[in-house]
Amino acid sequence: MFLEEIKKRTLDKIGDKFSKDLRKHEKEVRVVLRNCDLIDPDCIEEYIARDGYVALNKALNYSKQEVIDRIKESGLRGRGGGGFPTGVKWQFAYENDAKQKYIICNADEGDPGAFMDRSILEKDPHVVIEGMAIAAYAIGASHGYIYVRAEYPLAAKRIQNAINQARENGLLGKNIFDCDFHFDIDIRLGAGAFVCGEETALISSIEGERGMSRTKPPFPAAKGLWQEPTIINNVETLANVPLIIKNGPSWFKGYGTEKSPGTKVFALAGKVKHSGLIEVPMGITLGEIINEIGGGMAQKRRHFKAVLTGGPSGGCLTEKHLDASVDFDTLVELGSMMGSGGMIVLDDHDCMVDIAKFYLDFIVDESCGKCTPCREGTKQMYHLLEKITDGKGRLADICQLEKLAKLVKKASLCGLGQTAPNPVLSTLENFKDEYIKHVENKTCPAGRCKALISEFVITDACIGCGICAKKCPTHCITGLKKEIHIINQEECIKCGTCYEVCPKDAIMIKGGVQ
Amino acid sequence: MNEIITTKKMKELDECIERNKMKKGPLMPTLQDAQRIFGCVPKEVQEHIGKKLNESYAKIKGVVSFYTMFSTKPKGKHIVGVCTGTACYVKGAQKLVDKVCEVLKIPYGETTKDGLFTIAPTRCVGNCGEAPVVMIDEDQYGRVTIDQIEEILNKYK
Amino acid sequence: MNKVKVKINEQFVEIDHHLTILEAAKELNIDIPTFCHDERLNPTGSCRMCVVEVEGARNLMTACSTQVRDGMVVKTHSTPVIEARKGILELMWANHPNECLTCEKAGNCKLQDYSYQYDIDPDSLYPRLDSRKYFDDTNRFYTLDSRKCILCGKCVQICAELQVNGAIGFEDRGIDTRISIKQNEEPTDGVIDPYTCVSCGNCVNNCPVGALMPKSKEKFRNWEVKKVKTTCPYCGVGCQFELVVKDNKVVRVDPVKGGTNDGLLCVKGTFGYKFINHPDRLTHPLIRKNGEFVKVSWDEALDLIVEKIKETKDKYGANALAGLSSAKCSNEENYLMQKLVRAGFGTNNVDHCARLCHASTVAGLATTLGSGAMTNSISEIDGTDTFLVIGSNTTETHPVIGSMIKQRVKKGAHLIVCDPRQIELAKMADVHLQIKPGTNVAIANGLMHVIYQEGLYDIDYIDKNTTCFKDLIEVIKDYTPARVAKICGVSENDIIKAARLYAKVNKAAIYYAMGITQHSHGTNHVKSMANLALMTGNVGKESTGINPLRGQNNVQGACDLGALPNVYPGYQAVTDVNIQKKFEEAWGVKLSNEVGHTLPIMMNDASNQDIRLMYIMGENPMVSDPDTNHIKKALTNLDFLVVQDIFLTKTAELADVILPAVTYAEKDGTFTNTERRVQRIRKAVEPQSDTRPDWEILTDVMKRLGLKADYKTVEDVFNEITSLTPIYAGFDYQRLNENGMQWPCPSNDHPGTKFLYSDGFTKLGKAIFTPIHFMGPKENPDHDYPLILTTGRTLYHFHTKTMTDRVEALKQTLPNNFIQISLNTAKQYQINHNEFVLVSSRRGTSKAKVQITDTINDGVVFMPFHFADGANMLTNPALDEICNIPELKVCAVKIEKC
Ligand SMILES: Nc1nc2c(c(=O)[nH]1)N[C@H]1C(S)=C(S)[C@@H](COP(=O)(O)OP(=O)(O)OC[C@H]3O[C@@H](n4cnc5c(=O)[nH]c(N)nc54)[C@H](O)[C@@H]3O)O[C@H]1N2
Ligand SMILES: Nc1nc2c(c(=O)[nH]1)N[C@H]1C(S)=C(S)[C@@H](COP(=O)(O)OP(=O)(O)OC[C@H]3O[C@@H](n4cnc5c(=O)[nH]c(N)nc54)[C@H](O)[C@@H]3O)O[C@H]1N2
Ligand SMILES: Cc1cc2nc3c(=O)[nH]c(=O)nc-3n(C[C@H](O)[C@H](O)[C@H](O)COP(=O)(O)O)c2cc1C
Ligand code: SF4
Ligand code: SF4
Ligand code: SF4
Ligand code: SF4
Ligand code: SF4
Ligand code: FES
Ligand code: FES
Ligand SMILES: [Mo]
Repeated sequence: MFLEEIKKRTLDKIGDKFSKDLRKHEKEVRVVLRNCDLIDPDCIEEYIARDGYVALNKALNYSKQEVIDRIKESGLRGRGGGGFPTGVKWQFAYENDAKQKYIICNADEGDPGAFMDRSILEKDPHVVIEGMAIAAYAIGASHGYIYVRAEYPLAAKRIQNAINQARENGLLGKNIFDCDFHFDIDIRLGAGAFVCGEETALISSIEGERGMSRTKPPFPAAKGLWQEPTIINNVETLANVPLIIKNGPSWFKGYGTEKSPGTKVFALAGKVKHSGLIEVPMGITLGEIINEIGGGMAQKRRHFKAVLTGGPSGGCLTEKHLDASVDFDTLVELGSMMGSGGMIVLDDHDCMVDIAKFYLDFIVDESCGKCTPCREGTKQMYHLLEKITDGKGRLADICQLEKLAKLVKKASLCGLGQTAPNPVLSTLENFKDEYIKHVENKTCPAGRCKALISEFVITDACIGCGICAKKCPTHCITGLKKEIHIINQEECIKCGTCYEVCPKDAIMIKGGVQ
Repeated sequence: MNEIITTKKMKELDECIERNKMKKGPLMPTLQDAQRIFGCVPKEVQEHIGKKLNESYAKIKGVVSFYTMFSTKPKGKHIVGVCTGTACYVKGAQKLVDKVCEVLKIPYGETTKDGLFTIAPTRCVGNCGEAPVVMIDEDQYGRVTIDQIEEILNKYK
Repeated sequence: MNKVKVKINEQFVEIDHHLTILEAAKELNIDIPTFCHDERLNPTGSCRMCVVEVEGARNLMTACSTQVRDGMVVKTHSTPVIEARKGILELMWANHPNECLTCEKAGNCKLQDYSYQYDIDPDSLYPRLDSRKYFDDTNRFYTLDSRKCILCGKCVQICAELQVNGAIGFEDRGIDTRISIKQNEEPTDGVIDPYTCVSCGNCVNNCPVGALMPKSKEKFRNWEVKKVKTTCPYCGVGCQFELVVKDNKVVRVDPVKGGTNDGLLCVKGTFGYKFINHPDRLTHPLIRKNGEFVKVSWDEALDLIVEKIKETKDKYGANALAGLSSAKCSNEENYLMQKLVRAGFGTNNVDHCARLCHASTVAGLATTLGSGAMTNSISEIDGTDTFLVIGSNTTETHPVIGSMIKQRVKKGAHLIVCDPRQIELAKMADVHLQIKPGTNVAIANGLMHVIYQEGLYDIDYIDKNTTCFKDLIEVIKDYTPARVAKICGVSENDIIKAARLYAKVNKAAIYYAMGITQHSHGTNHVKSMANLALMTGNVGKESTGINPLRGQNNVQGACDLGALPNVYPGYQAVTDVNIQKKFEEAWGVKLSNEVGHTLPIMMNDASNQDIRLMYIMGENPMVSDPDTNHIKKALTNLDFLVVQDIFLTKTAELADVILPAVTYAEKDGTFTNTERRVQRIRKAVEPQSDTRPDWEILTDVMKRLGLKADYKTVEDVFNEITSLTPIYAGFDYQRLNENGMQWPCPSNDHPGTKFLYSDGFTKLGKAIFTPIHFMGPKENPDHDYPLILTTGRTLYHFHTKTMTDRVEALKQTLPNNFIQISLNTAKQYQINHNEFVLVSSRRGTSKAKVQITDTINDGVVFMPFHFADGANMLTNPALDEICNIPELKVCAVKIEKC
């Protein structure tokens, strides 16, 4: 078999390059990321040397239903955010009779704070191609698209190169592995629209339309791209597929929890010591991720406040959730969601109202504008939040905000609008007191909302180290070494830099509306 | 014909259109080609594409105005993107944005008079571990602080 | 069909599984509010107003887009639902100007109605967003006030999916999303860009709020008006709409969904109503006294007419009299006109504009198939696989049918266009055969040649249903693609491609009009169409057939009702003694069995003073007949001319008596549209001044002539019609009331006929192939007159403009006579775009504005015939010998600078 040959040849050439352990922490695992940073992504031989395309070959020896059954049995759930069982979805498309079907790899990765898919595409492109080919075979598709975010030119390049190499090796195209299976892939680039990560908007975009979402049902598996049955899977989902086929469902279930088997890649970022991409088995606790793998807070003196998961569709989890298991269902139960895997850690200098506003600003920008609740409602939510962070809020605004958030959630057309209120609802749930402080006391405890800061003052705790004076952009802080410094309030622009940098937290915020 | 739309570029576009026409859904790739070739997709180009692809101008205008990557006016020589993705935001990206605007003396999203810089709204460049990130064209700068901004921009002047 | 049981608000309903919750609720008379829903469009679910609670669903579901499931439990008005709808309305309102007080839409506005119904607080906590501020009033017919737009998206969908122009779209995204329209800034001069707004108003008519509004000077509130359903008076599509009337004045037109046009209209239907109440209307009977028209009483006018009729008849015999009936008038009126001529004048000299229009169709199809009407129905367009549109500028002349063809083509049907000009449809066609004018027979023979050579004909069908196929083969064998390509000036490959596209599909339909008929060999052109359709077995089935698009609103009816010199109502020959006897008995007079003279012959007769008196109802030959100088001579040579019209036309200017009739809006009756559908017209405004409906005037004249004519209402006339006209026998006003009915309808339990010849060609026994050799037009370009002129119509004007010129916006859209010319030809004559030139033929000269366009071939020019002293100064009155249609589509001209 030619794969064997290539493997042998390649292994001879590269020596023990593959035996490196790239994990930074023992709680990490390397399943989906097993090839990342290990193989040369521009070299199909190295992928094959890691048993690449063996799974495809194996799949082609199964019946379509057998392939689907294996995926179903593995319990693989969509890594694009929703966590929908992949095998079940495939089954729908398989059962919908049509001459033409499509498989789409969703590489739009729009969550601002996530970069798992990018890494896989750039570092191990063939695993995605192999996953797509298996999916295509299972549902009966002969054509696939990879919809890559325009901001990822390198990923697109690598993928294109990988597609070319796969074609050259007969792993894409006609009669793959001499079977009656034909499959090829096209790359489509996004053009700067977060909503195009939503599957129906993505379809609109490929069709050359405005990236506006469409009502479901009909679901893409019944009527998708060009009205044909279409399966859309996330990059990471597809990257799991070859492994499941190769190693079997029970191997896969060896990782993770019963309902969320397997591993998950997270982009850990924010105020943790070690940020970056991590892969962990599902069911690990938040605490383990943040405190052990992440090494705790980046700045020792700061306190963990919350972790944002699920990006603009998710919510925040707090101290009390640190023991919670990280899996699809638990996160939803706790009012957040897994999302695509962004995980951003906040400390006590982050204002939760401001964070909610940040996400809404993003959503207002990114709403496709098709449906009333999302288009108009998110803008009004933003206004309410702005009112609150500007110190003009009243208690009634918080009620209105909550009511509106629920309307947008319940009545919006697509996932974007349906989840857009989550950051608001979850911060309201966990940090209502912070909201109330904004409207009642006119203060922002985290010192983020400029309008609610009448003054920064330096307290007795100051040791006169001078760091703040050095960092202040307007140079309005003065003081002798080892003496308490003073802020010239006239010149202070309330940027909060001093507050941020003071190693002794000697700087205090005075509230009140400016 | 003006500076932006030259016959040569038009020819290049036509070649792209012919190629794209062979695929289903040729509009997006064609607009992406046009954006690359002309640096923007002005009205005349939109109308031209419409005729070639048998699509209405209203539709093409709708698509062009939907996606942020397409612009109808040329962008600056260098695209400055201060990432305002979540990770960068919590690491103070807003201050960097303000600083860039201050240094270049233009509002967010606009192009400097000399056509050198455009500040492009940017959400997560996939390098959150290095937040806050500033991107100029293809170059990424991680863990940027306010005082580095001028220095970075100067490299491109 | 799969029925499912659904529980809605504690009630059960059993309905088809593919229907939506909205439709299920409707069954139970439960009203669910909607903004973006339209039963003709794919649901988008964008406004979210129709949300309902579905048991088990995480979120609220939109009733308009969610299909029912067995066992589904739905709540349409529960507290969460009401709350959500309120919330949505509040959000809409917060981005909408508070202007109901002065808004023209008030009283007809869904946002206003629902806001009231759902008790929303206009001063909610939300700040006004004011995110849409754009106001577009560049269109002559309507305005777009984006501030009032709720972005339901219906306009975008309607323009793209139903009108199929795609002129209106969304711009930007999110909260900045807005609607914008590609407008036509300049007068179009007959070149339609398929992607700019054609002002059909279909978006305007469906905007749920006051964002898209017709431009109107009339002030009215929607609760002050009455609405009357009637039929469009312009073209043969026969669109159904409601006239909206305030104080006896039409102030708006609302389309009617379902039925003929299913809510679509064209610019003339939507906006072309202002002629009704126009001050130029004729108001009193006029008699020419010493060269001046003087207002007189009806008695004086009618007495004079009757006196002249009697006098002329006595002096010169009955055949010195003639009547022109009108395809603008109702069936009843046409019936009365031919009765007046036949029974009152005592001659069969009655004809009407069908002579200039589809005479060749009637002659060509009656002898090959059995009947001269469209074989199929408009609704069958949706089943056709390939369209051959030949000599029909459908999107301009039958716009709603044009849109339906476009809809079907968008869904994947093939389209072949055969026209000397690149008309709008040609731009979306698989093949455009841009033939030289007058070469239809050659192209048809060429197509048949390929079909025969490639064995694509339907031999079983031919054997079973036709005769003379062998003769056809003999003729078409000489028409190789190479030869035909040369004659017609098209490519061989296109001929072959077209032939395959037409012959290889299951259902191929021919749609044709004046480009086929108006030739000196028009009848032969029509027969060629029949040959082509028969050869491929495309007659007698649904969605195929051969479809002559009838032009005037009631030209089909005028023919049906015997406004023709050779037949009584229902195409019963005047030469048939039994028929003659039937009518003599019914009308109580002796009738002539001598076939009367056709319109062009009448004009020759008048010119020679063989005809002395003419009664013209609702026609304007001074503008519409070929060779205006000749017509002028003919009409001025008459001893006595009666013109019965609604305006003082060029023809009326030559009259001795002018009778002021009323428009369609002021009378009752029926029109028969192009698909043989007899539809009601209903009086919406009272006749003004001293005007009278045509049927009343005719009745009065008949009475004065001593004929039996005691009709109290038009319905009485209609009942007489059905008693004498077998194809109409089964109709009565009651049956026609809802959606009209299609003839033949022989009895009152017959459902009417959707498509013809479903049970074979019973009238003739078998359909007859009539092989035709190509023969060119009568006049060809030469040294003195080197260009071929073809003439026709434009979207914005109707015929001689008597009506459309009284609609200011239509007039402005196309203010000048123009001539379309190719760039090369223009260069040859050194003439510029928009310059005025003199165009001359052997018969006369006309002035026209130059429109240089790439839609026409070198050496060919096009002029509309709407303008007085326009195209018909030039056209050739040469006639088709079989049916007397003049050669309006080809003559030779030259161009000079002014
Ligand atoms: N807006 C508007 N609509 C109308 C009317 C109107 O005046 N205005 N009039 C109504 C009436 S009464 C009628 S009869 C219909 C007529 O409707 P149409 O027949 O569609 O209208 P025309 O413009 O006369 O001619 C149609 C086409 O024939 C083409 N043509 C010319 N010569 C030839 C030829 O030799 N061969 C072929 N194949 N094509 C040729 C012309 O280029 C033109 O595009 O329209 C009806 N509808
Ligand atoms: N060069 C050239 N000439 C052509 C053609 C062409 O293609 N080229 N086409 C020919 C064709 S197909 C046609 S159908 C003819 C049309 O020729 P015409 O029938 O002469 O044209 P219209 O302008 O429709 O004339 C109808 C008249 O009826 C009047 N009218 C409207 N409603 C009523 C009513 O209720 N009662 C009465 N009493 N009058 C009413 C109108 O004011 C108008 O004067 O033109 C023909 N002439
Ligand atoms: C607003 C929005 C953005 C989304 N963005 C992405 C994305 O960037 N990548 C992705 O894989 N899925 C994204 N999704 C989820 C997709 O719609 C879809 O569910 C997913 O691609 C299915 O793949 P999976 O089953 O493999 O998860 C997004 C959904 C919404 C509502
Ligand atoms: S929820 Fe938002 S993104 Fe989704 S369809 Fe509605 S407006 Fe568009
Ligand atoms: S569009 Fe409707 S709601 Fe708006 S101002 Fe007019 S009547 Fe009032
Ligand atoms: S203009 Fe009217 S129809 Fe069009 S989107 Fe706005 S509200 Fe809807
Ligand atoms: S008037 Fe007709 S053509 Fe114009 S935008 Fe509206 S629907 Fe489209
Ligand atoms: S298509 Fe004909 S019948 Fe319909 S609105 Fe237009 S002119 Fe009237
Ligand atoms: S948020 Fe800035 S790089 Fe991801
Ligand atoms: S009517 Fe159903 S969503 Fe608009
Ligand atoms: Mo006509």
